[in-house]
Amino acid sequence: MIKIPAKVLIVDDEKDFVEMFSLRLEGQGEKVSTAHSGKEALKVLEQAAIDVVILDIRMPGMDGIDTLKQIKKFYPIVEVIMLTGHGSTETAVEGMKLGAFDYLMKPAEFEDIKSKIENARKRKDEQEERIRQAEVKLLLRRSGDI
Amino acid sequence: MEKFYNDNIRLLLVDDEEGFRAAIARRLTKRGLKPLQASDGKECLEILEKGPMDVVVLDVKMPGMSGIDTLKCIKQAHEKIQVILLTGNIAISDGIEGIKAGAFDYLTKPVEIDHLVNKIKQAVEMIRLEEEKQEELEYRAKLEKKMIDTERLASLGTMSTGIAHEINNPLAIINESAGFMKQVISSPEMSKCSQKDALLMGIGKIEKSIKRARRITHQLLDHVKKPDLKFSEVNLKALLYETFGLLKKDIKDKQININWEIDKGKSILWSDPYQIRQVLMNLLSNAVHALQRNGSITLSTDEIEDDIILEIKDNGVGIPKENLGKIFDPFFSTKSFDEGTGLGLFVVHKIICGLNGEIEVVSKVGEGSSFIIKLPKRFEKKAVVQV
Repeated sequence: MIKIPAKVLIVDDEKDFVEMFSLRLEGQGEKVSTAHSGKEALKVLEQAAIDVVILDIRMPGMDGIDTLKQIKKFYPIVEVIMLTGHGSTETAVEGMKLGAFDYLMKPAEFEDIKSKIENARKRKDEQEERIRQAEVKLLLRRSGDI
Repeated sequence: MEKFYNDNIRLLLVDDEEGFRAAIARRLTKRGLKPLQASDGKECLEILEKGPMDVVVLDVKMPGMSGIDTLKCIKQAHEKIQVILLTGNIAISDGIEGIKAGAFDYLTKPVEIDHLVNKIKQAVEMIRLEEEKQEELEYRAKLEKKMIDTERLASLGTMSTGIAHEINNPLAIINESAGFMKQVISSPEMSKCSQKDALLMGIGKIEKSIKRARRITHQLLDHVKKPDLKFSEVNLKALLYETFGLLKKDIKDKQININWEIDKGKSILWSDPYQIRQVLMNLLSNAVHALQRNGSITLSTDEIEDDIILEIKDNGVGIPKENLGKIFDPFFSTKSFDEGTGLGLFVVHKIICGLNGEIEVVSKVGEGSSFIIKLPKRFEKKAVVQV
């Protein structure tokens, strides 16, 4: 099976973590972008097509939840996986209610990360596919009307 | 004073003059007192060794062991006994010396019997007051110790959860770095590297240690006070059954007997079932660990006023006296690191306090341990700010 690379954006103020995490994901064949704050993340999303955002909850300035709200407002189809420290599971749940795909606990098992990214990407693909099909139908009906 | 019935007073009369002694004893008996009698200091001390005594009426001038010496011996061995001295009319200095040595008071001969009875009653009243004072002191000391323990554990808890939070981030970095190195070393171009296996082994050890550290941080953070506790009816019996289900294998392996002495009507409370389940899990798995083959665990509940009491008792190895004060401390453990983090009882204590309950332990090496939990039947939020 050929793996389709996911376009992942990692957002965390811990630069060392972002660096190693992205190296590892790239090693697995994903296409990785990075950001060290919520604001930076939104800028990246403006410029690049992203499938999955991995978003730390605890960040100075604009925190994970605020960033999530912005992402969901402007890029509702982009999937977000929240990255939480232990003990802030409530925030993760809040995030999921706001539209996040899932959450990961730091430090996370890589297998977990891989499967969650894969599932998030799949869901986004499927959603995009549904939108495409709906558009096609819409187009067909319109042309039929004429 | 009225409530002190004369026949409850344990009294000893010590005098070498038999006639005088018998006369006094007879008159005291008429007033409802039943004095034992001794003819000298030595006999007096022998009687005191045999059984409890409240008041000793003691003649100062006796052959052999003097009254003052006898008094000193009494006070040394039986601190609580009150001594009334009988002195000759001209020997007031003896009385004063006696009071200095710890006598309750002295009377001069010839003795006015009503006067003596009154003195005896006063001495008994003194004993009662002293006992009350002692009880009060003990109660206060216990309360204070409890408060200090609770406060200390609370601050330790706050500190350790703070540390756990901070450690998770570097841990995540170590985890990713090790994972990445593993990925690189496992790649085809590294297959010629002769030290590849050694490197992978090293990384494996890093990963194992990360997991160990993570287990600790997670356990510490598991019970950080949640803002919205979910409360519902908790059936202790059902929860205990559930918990035993999770420990089934160990219980079967060790052939542990479980004695259920749970009163159905006294095991229902309104609280947080998740946290209580965690408490039961930690306590029961500790009990199972403490037991030898064929050991037993006894579970019982009771109801005292607005509280439900649960006792979990095992007849396992027990806890040494010197460890009893430390078992609720975080990271205190007598097990090796792969058997326990030393956080189980710490978490238990934290949860129980958070649910407005109390926990106590009674234990003896070789006989077993008993954990007694008191939880309010209905949890009410306290007005005090929780740490």
